[in-house]
Amino acid sequence: MAVNATMHVARPGRRDACLDWLQMLSGASLVLFMWCHMILVSSVIISPKVMDAIAWFFEATYMAQLGGPVIGIVFLFHFILAARKIPFTSYEQKTIWEHAKMMMHRDTWLWVVQAVTAMIVLIMGGIHMWVVLNDLPITAMKSAARMQQTGWTIFYLILLPMVELHVSIGFYRILVKWGVISNKTRPLAKRGEYLLLATFLFIGFLTIIRFLTLAIH
Amino acid sequence: MGRKLQFEIFRFNPQDPLSVPRMQTYFLEETDKMTLYIALNRLREEQDPSLIFDFCCRAGICGACAMVINGRPGLACQTQTKDQPAKIILHPLPVFKLIGDLSVDTGVWFREMYNKTESWIHTNKVIDPHQQEERMENEVAEQIYELERCIECGCCIAACGTARMRDDFMGAAALNRIARFMVDPRDERSEDDFFEVIGTDAGIFGCMGLLGCEDVCPKQLPLQNQLGYLRRKMGITAVKQLVPALGKIKLDKLKIGKFIPGGDK
Ligand code: HEM
Ligand code: SF4
Ligand code: SF4
Ligand code: FES
Repeated sequence: MAVNATMHVARPGRRDACLDWLQMLSGASLVLFMWCHMILVSSVIISPKVMDAIAWFFEATYMAQLGGPVIGIVFLFHFILAARKIPFTSYEQKTIWEHAKMMMHRDTWLWVVQAVTAMIVLIMGGIHMWVVLNDLPITAMKSAARMQQTGWTIFYLILLPMVELHVSIGFYRILVKWGVISNKTRPLAKRGEYLLLATFLFIGFLTIIRFLTLAIH
Repeated sequence: MGRKLQFEIFRFNPQDPLSVPRMQTYFLEETDKMTLYIALNRLREEQDPSLIFDFCCRAGICGACAMVINGRPGLACQTQTKDQPAKIILHPLPVFKLIGDLSVDTGVWFREMYNKTESWIHTNKVIDPHQQEERMENEVAEQIYELERCIECGCCIAACGTARMRDDFMGAAALNRIARFMVDPRDERSEDDFFEVIGTDAGIFGCMGLLGCEDVCPKQLPLQNQLGYLRRKMGITAVKQLVPALGKIKLDKLKIGKFIPGGDK
């Protein structure tokens, strides 16, 4: 807390409150989207036909053509909002790193993981969205063909855990920050968070394996 | 015979131009029921009279002895050596001004914080000192007392990643102060008044929910619950200001704007 300086006369305003709401809402809608996304993509485990059917539904209702770019905008919007909290200067990075090492405290580390995965998701998620939306319609065959190229295999093997980490930590921290989780329910919520992470990683990796073993015709 | 304890203690005296920051090693034989208070006093008496650290009550009441113990902010007088490994590393609290070695100035920080949060009861009532005090519901009194137990040790500030990165962040102790006055029926400040104090990124919206504060507070104050409560309350206050029609809804009637009492840990 600055004790000896006034940069400018503070004027009460609602800016920070609004930005915080929007950060939470954009994060929450991206989490919702990621869960829907998982349903679409993992349906390939059941059968490529099911995935094609779901993808066709999104296409026919124009949800893919419209929804895709909208998600892209929400994604960028969320980045801009959350970037207010990301340590970008080397001073801040050094501080939070030293702090996390000093404390050896789970929730502090979780935040560091969230900030680091955020930057990776920004770049890799951006590439992913660009490539997929430039190659509509989405079909199981096209996805499988892409994923079977070694470069893309590695790409998705990295992107998946990064997104899932960011999403499950983010979801947990929304509930903490807004007081849905109290100190009594926190241990339970923490376990729920890990369970969520494990479940989605499991389904996600299963999906990748399914794509890799799908015969291309 | 007790364990042989190895102490690694941060040494630096900013008053002395020749002093350079360094870690110094001391050894001490552990005795029964030894606390860091006992250990540090013995080190100063028997080995190094120049060692600087603070103590006052040695009973977890004054908050003077807070320091970083093996990475975690805590009270030296409440920390038993038997709960620590044989190697004990001690640093002064970060964020606060270093006086020397393990001693920091939390007083200036807390004084400023009290000014910022206007940490007193705001009322237009004229109080007659000869009259009996007004009565208060026991439950409310207990809630206030629960939050009033803060001893201003500064551990929650030193444990907060946000406070360390952002010079202007108020920290959990300050936000807890505000929660304390929100609960107090004698304080006539409105939600909008409180919003002016903490409705920014230097206040409640800067908190990133890392919960370092909650996990180190030596008095086990329910900080997590207060922070969640304040964020909801202030978030809703902002929405109410933007859409005045919502102002008629009494949030305290809904569960959403309710104070969450401490709860046990
Ligand atoms: C798949 C896309 C994404 C999803 C589902 C997602 C989800 C979330 C959620 C739910 C939160 C918690 C929100 C809050 O605490 O108010 C969050 C926080 C955060 N997000 Fe994302 N996010 C995504 C992409 C990104 C990207 C691309 C960035 C790029 C920088 C980013 C940076 C952050 C940061 C730094 C936080 C922490 C903010 C804080 O601690 O206050 N996120 N995210
Ligand atoms: S919960 Fe908020 S106040 Fe507490 S340590 Fe985390 S950021 Fe700081
Ligand atoms: S809230 Fe707890 S950790 Fe923070 S100053 Fe008060 S007693 Fe110390
Ligand atoms: S000496 Fe007073 S709290 Fe430790």
